[in-house]
Amino acid sequence: MLDGHLLLGWLSFTVIVYLFSLPGPTTAYFGLTGNEPLSILPLSSQPEERVAKAHYKLCDRLKLEKKQRRMCRRDPGVAETLMEAITLSVLECQYQFRYERWNCTLEGRYRANILKRGFKETAFLYAISSAGLTHAMAKACSAGRMERCTCDEAPDLENRKAWQWGGCGDNLKYSNKFVKDFLGKRSNKDIRARVDMHNTNVGMKVIKAGVETTCKCHGVSGSCTVQTCWRQLSPFHEISKQLKQRYETSLKVGSFTNEVTGKGDISQSRAQQQQQQQQQQQQQQPAVLGPRDQIPRTMDLLHIEDSPSFCRASKYSAGTSARKCYKDKNCDAICCGRGHNTQSRVVTRPCQCQVRWCCYVECKQCTQREEVYTCKG
Amino acid sequence: MFRRHGVACSALTGSMDARHGVVAITFLAFFMQVVVEASSWWSLAMNPLLIPEAYIIGAQPLCSQLAGLSKGQKKLCQLYQDHMQYIGEGAKTGIRECQFQFRHRRWNCSTVDNSSVFGRVMQIGSRETAFTYAISAAGVVNAVSRACREGELSSCGCSRAARPKDLPRDWLWGGCGDNLMYGYRFSKEFVDAREREKTYSKGSIESARLMMNLHNNEAGRRAVSDLAHVSCKCHGVSGSCSLKTCWLQLADFRKVGDLLKEKYDSAASMKLNARGKLVQVHNKFNPPTGQDLVYIDPSPDYCVVNKTTGSLGTQGRLCNKTSEGMDGCALMCCGRGYDQFKATLVERCHCKFHWCCYVKCKRCSRTVDQFVCK
Repeated sequence: MLDGHLLLGWLSFTVIVYLFSLPGPTTAYFGLTGNEPLSILPLSSQPEERVAKAHYKLCDRLKLEKKQRRMCRRDPGVAETLMEAITLSVLECQYQFRYERWNCTLEGRYRANILKRGFKETAFLYAISSAGLTHAMAKACSAGRMERCTCDEAPDLENRKAWQWGGCGDNLKYSNKFVKDFLGKRSNKDIRARVDMHNTNVGMKVIKAGVETTCKCHGVSGSCTVQTCWRQLSPFHEISKQLKQRYETSLKVGSFTNEVTGKGDISQSRAQQQQQQQQQQQQQQPAVLGPRDQIPRTMDLLHIEDSPSFCRASKYSAGTSARKCYKDKNCDAICCGRGHNTQSRVVTRPCQCQVRWCCYVECKQCTQREEVYTCKG
Repeated sequence: MFRRHGVACSALTGSMDARHGVVAITFLAFFMQVVVEASSWWSLAMNPLLIPEAYIIGAQPLCSQLAGLSKGQKKLCQLYQDHMQYIGEGAKTGIRECQFQFRHRRWNCSTVDNSSVFGRVMQIGSRETAFTYAISAAGVVNAVSRACREGELSSCGCSRAARPKDLPRDWLWGGCGDNLMYGYRFSKEFVDAREREKTYSKGSIESARLMMNLHNNEAGRRAVSDLAHVSCKCHGVSGSCSLKTCWLQLADFRKVGDLLKEKYDSAASMKLNARGKLVQVHNKFNPPTGQDLVYIDPSPDYCVVNKTTGSLGTQGRLCNKTSEGMDGCALMCCGRGYDQFKATLVERCHCKFHWCCYVKCKRCSRTVDQFVCK
């Protein structure tokens, strides 16, 4: 039997170890949802003998957790892939939200403040982060940039049995495993952590659902007697479009405590359930699981709070003043009723392009006046 | 206004008699009244002048009784008695259209009282003021032109506009078109009379406001004249279009309202330059044309009640829960939240046409959710 003091000592030691190993709420969670600065870091060219250690520097520049840094260092292609994933996610996010009031501005304190709350926008950021990372990793594997993975090795591809060679499909299996390890599993019971985990998984699921099998026929005179098939991820543009649609139909969840057992649980808020029931009566969709279950198993994004209107400058965004808008489409929506200013610009564009033999394109330059509308305020 | 107030004060302190004191108080009260209310010819819309015959008998007293008219406007009233009814109707059309166009926004063009109509909001030279001036001038053009065509006014008749050059040769130009020319000129005389009779020192705020009002009135009138179009009627053999008569017709006032609302959205912010003229605040934007609206002050906050600016606030306004625009509950209620009520709507339904010739409808009631700002 351990002595009282010794027991206390061991208990405190294990508690301390446990606390340190718990991921804190603001630790680096990679991608658009991390703490690392979002500037695109150029890889400087280094001599051969130092190329092995070059990616260490890059891994250190990204503020990663211990486990993530270890995974980064293990394989030299990972760092570059991480950078590519961030670029991809940011560009797509800004493209999808270019006509909305919140246009995915992630400079300065805006990103940190948005991530502190549980808006629909936060849900989208988590989803597109994980989707970007999965996509970039799968493409990197098939492009040969990684040491630890290569082409898709799924045994269930049809061409494996009959044909000698196969295409190089995007390695989704390795990518999923990598991302799951990289982004970690949060075992917190906190509703926010669970919702974030769910949104991350939605991002990965959307990628998985977008896998297509592409075949190329190269038999006798181009017939399909001999064909090579491989699995390919759909372009990231399509994925982000889908995620944007999910963002628009995002469900609001709230937590309630089961008064009998005292345990907390997560459910959809009443109003949304009623709304959904009304919709189901009209559309006959399969019912979403009820309040007794854990996070509703849906492919929809979840959010906890209602977003602000992003009209005025706040700690979440710079507001919509001086935003570019398109008069017929969305100036009313973006400018929040403040009206718009008109500016005329003379723009020179190539026009009347023709192909010359061989093989270049010759264009004339046309100048035209175009109007640029920016929001007042 | 305050300068005159000051002069009156100093003149009266000389004589300290009690009777003089009473006179002084009434004098001051009279001036204060003018400062606070700033009534306008729009009040003609609120007090309906329905009896045209009343003008013929003892015409003179009636014009001086009309509240809100300036000196020049009163003179015009005495000269053109029969036009006043239509000016009132024009103002009423303008106000109604304004309330339609702004029904989804925080300031919904609501009328406050019968003399200043919109309250103190109009004393700020904001975009909303610009729109109101423009649409009421447009309303007068519309009403007077239509009245001319109907033959109600003695000093004008059908339109004598020239035949448009692009009209096909075998179409007849005739008919009785809306007398746009006369309506435009009369509206210019009457509505601008109040602004023209005052002179302010160059570079003062009042002169800026004067120029802004004149510009916006003109923009309103031009909107009506730009939207006037050629309308034709076929009256050939058995209604065919072998014979066609065309005339100039004013557009439906809703279209004028839509056009002016667009101009409101793209209104230009102006300021006084050193020479006392109105110029744009930011040079890089397109300069306003004669058809654009201009404003000099930023709009006040219409979210909360404010007696100084005249804002009525948005408390108690209906909002639309599902909308993301200005009439959505987030923006309309300015973040204060909203209450939900169930309301019973009674409307006509199951309408049937009976021979001959009436329509009979049943009344259906349904409960809807209504959201009201806190």
